[in-house]
Amino acid sequence: MRYEFRITGRLSAVVGDAFPELEKESVPEQTLLFGNVTDDAHLYGLLVRFQDLGLPVLEMRRLPE
Amino acid sequence: MRAGNPAQARSGGVERLTPTGDPLLAAKFAIPAVPRTHVGRNRLLDRLTEGTKGPLTVVTGPAGAGKTTLAAAWAATCPSPGPVVWLTAENDDSAPGVFWTYVLGAFHCHQVPLPDSVGIPSHTGDVDHSLLVRLAAELARLPQPVVLVLDGLERVPGRGVASGLEFVLDHAGPQLRLVLISRVDPPLRLHRYRAEDQICEIRGAELAFTRHETSLLLRRHGLSPSPESVGALTSRTEGWAAGLRLCALAMQQADDAEQFARSFAASQNAVADYLIAEVLEAQPAATRDLLVRTSILDHIHPQLANALTAREDAEWILARLVHANAFVEPIGDTPWRRCHPLFAEVLRAHLHSRRPGLVPQLHHQAARWFAGHDRPSEALKHAAAAGDWGYAAALLVDHLAVGNCLTGPDTHRLEQLFSAMPEDLPGVAPALVLAACALARGEATSGGAYLDRAEQLLGSTGAPEERLTCALLRLLVLGGGGGGGDTDGTAAEALAARTRDLMEQVAAPQLQRHPEIEALRRYGRACALQLAGRLGDARAAFTEALDVCPAESAPEVRCHCLGRLALAEALGGSLRAAGRHASEGLDTAKAYGVTPSRCPGSCHLALAVVAADQGDLQGARRHLGLAVDAGEAHDPVVAVETAVLHARLELAYGQAGSALDILDAVQGIHAGEPAQRMAVARSAVHLARGDAAAAIAALQACGPGGPAHTVALSAAHLAAGECDEAVRLLASIDGQQDMSVADQVRVRLLEAQAATLDKDASAAVGLLGRAINTARPERLRAPFTDAGLWLRHLLTSTPETADLQSWLTGRPGDAEPLVVEHISPREHDVLLCAAQMMSTQEIAEDLHLSVNTVKTHLNSIYRKLSVSRRSQAVRRAREVGIL
Repeated sequence: MRYEFRITGRLSAVVGDAFPELEKESVPEQTLLFGNVTDDAHLYGLLVRFQDLGLPVLEMRRLPE
Repeated sequence: MRAGNPAQARSGGVERLTPTGDPLLAAKFAIPAVPRTHVGRNRLLDRLTEGTKGPLTVVTGPAGAGKTTLAAAWAATCPSPGPVVWLTAENDDSAPGVFWTYVLGAFHCHQVPLPDSVGIPSHTGDVDHSLLVRLAAELARLPQPVVLVLDGLERVPGRGVASGLEFVLDHAGPQLRLVLISRVDPPLRLHRYRAEDQICEIRGAELAFTRHETSLLLRRHGLSPSPESVGALTSRTEGWAAGLRLCALAMQQADDAEQFARSFAASQNAVADYLIAEVLEAQPAATRDLLVRTSILDHIHPQLANALTAREDAEWILARLVHANAFVEPIGDTPWRRCHPLFAEVLRAHLHSRRPGLVPQLHHQAARWFAGHDRPSEALKHAAAAGDWGYAAALLVDHLAVGNCLTGPDTHRLEQLFSAMPEDLPGVAPALVLAACALARGEATSGGAYLDRAEQLLGSTGAPEERLTCALLRLLVLGGGGGGGDTDGTAAEALAARTRDLMEQVAAPQLQRHPEIEALRRYGRACALQLAGRLGDARAAFTEALDVCPAESAPEVRCHCLGRLALAEALGGSLRAAGRHASEGLDTAKAYGVTPSRCPGSCHLALAVVAADQGDLQGARRHLGLAVDAGEAHDPVVAVETAVLHARLELAYGQAGSALDILDAVQGIHAGEPAQRMAVARSAVHLARGDAAAAIAALQACGPGGPAHTVALSAAHLAAGECDEAVRLLASIDGQQDMSVADQVRVRLLEAQAATLDKDASAAVGLLGRAINTARPERLRAPFTDAGLWLRHLLTSTPETADLQSWLTGRPGDAEPLVVEHISPREHDVLLCAAQMMSTQEIAEDLHLSVNTVKTHLNSIYRKLSVSRRSQAVRRAREVGIL
């Protein structure tokens, strides 16, 4: 399953490294992170990680394969 | 359990992990300090005051939204309907047993006394429902309302804890006011409380700071920002409390506060990322290093921080950070500090991103520091995080804590912790830990294999702790049926003595901290003796073990001891003693919250045997079901007795084939007492089918045995018409010391049967009377009901046996004998139909039989039940438990 997460603001390298499994792409005032998500546990784990780091998730969607 | 602070004492096994006076435990109960710079927001405080007038208040919002601070400020400044009990949940608390232990501890710590009769969870993994029932009942009885604040509920995910909370909330009545603080919606059925208008919800949007509140917060930090800056900061952070505090810190450190506000507003970086970078980068290098290195910890101790940074100034740095409100907060009145979770997470990201190689090294150092400060459970956690399994295992063995894997409330956690340990790790300690984990799962055989490895490595050397652990585990493996050849218990006796010797070689204070070692030693010896068929010795050994298993410190071992003792008594025919011990075992399990899944099945099994022996087949079935549910089937003694009783019950319902199937399904029993018990049970099935030759063959297959074996053999010979051989066998064991009550009764009955074959009715009646006199005190009826047709003939043909009959039926003056012939499966079907008030015609159609066949079956049922009418037959069948 490929997922895309849209986060407010750009991420520094350090915080970006907290998501080594995701690719990052900066767009104005937002960051897109996308990559393969193994299963639900991984997905919810990612959401918790975003929250732990104070990063509000604006949008999350599953990408077509 | 040690005496001491009630809060610690109440917390049961957790006390062992976090010794008395442990700051972490206190930290969970401490209402967090409100920061100096806190802005009291009346709109929210009033909502909480309003909310605590009702049963449930839920405060949700993202990390750093100010949930905890709000509740702490409310507790400190606002009128509360009663005492406030606070518990901060942490990641280790997700097991319901630990969670509820802490909840009970919190009530005690905050001086809301609940009576001891509530009990304590004895196991981390699960909590007995009856404990929650008692808790709710006691809460309902409180003289005044109590506010229970549970902070950080998102760290306790899953329905287990939530459903318990819901139950307690629903049944505690109006006295309990629950305040739940969580980042995510707690998994309670909130909609239900909304529909009943029983809930007050304070959510993230309400927690957001308004411009006015932002301005106040900045002023508290000694800043005097312009209205534009306040507006920019509020909108950029969307009123996020943690963000605004970070802004204030950054502005304090910046040369030009207004310039900072402008650049922050213009920045495209994520709010948390930008602010934390600003704050962290502004710290001196030593502070940054300390923060990053200690991010592997949940709680920071200055000495530990010194150890991790190889510096001496941690105390000073931490004090400065606390003073500056820089996201490090004190924990109660202890030297411990806690980092704000959000900040801690970013620091961890820094550590992993910039110094990935450092992480295991830090865990390694932390493990050693905790071990050196007598906090083995923390040490284990860090050793496991470092992947330092050799060290973790050695720690457990050196602390003599391996017994905790088997008895302790900590079993669940330790097993989980060590589940990641590679199986082929070299060394004695890992092999011992693997053996203990295998035993905890009930796999005695694989436990034995790990012990073989440990023993090979140990040789004749090794530390006393290692050798003691090894000997103790070997004894338990033997008792669990993983030992093989110890048929007479000599190996067990030798091992028990050796364990005793080794106990004297380890330091006494260390041994005193682990009373479970002696408890397990005696329990293991007793189990091994029972397995070896030395029933009298086993009974004495279990009684001895009970002396050193007080319910407070080893409730599970005590329950198991009581269960096994009850089973031994029941099998020996001491039914009253068996019933007493089994009930005490179940009561202990209940009082100490031993969960049904860990409750000894042997207690229920013993009760089932007692019921069956007293002629209560339905009761026997019920208890047998409970025993099977308890899932102790890995133990050979329990497995065999379960199968034997199950087969007996099937036989009583006329299902000889299925009884044999049940016995055949028991695997891996080839020798010793269990094999003999199986053979005796098999012979009984064969006899019931009228196949005496097969009965004799089944008994002879497992060689000569104890009295029970000889009695069964004699019965089989008698059934085969070899009266002389039967009498000779009986004579060979008559008067033996260790014969059980049940066997004594059976011997008399067989002698009586032999006498009837000799047409010597008066001798038979005399022997029958002696059998009944032996059986009567225990209300032992099974040998009579199982005796067969001859007994019924004897009873009906000799008028002087009327009083014997009345005892057997259990109803004085009632002439109906209890002795019932086995009903065939087809007859059972007919009976079932008759019980449903079906006519003969209907029964015939239903069972595809001819009307005449049904009538034949009915007549045979009447004869077997000694009745003359259909309604009587149904009533009688119900009484004796056939229906």
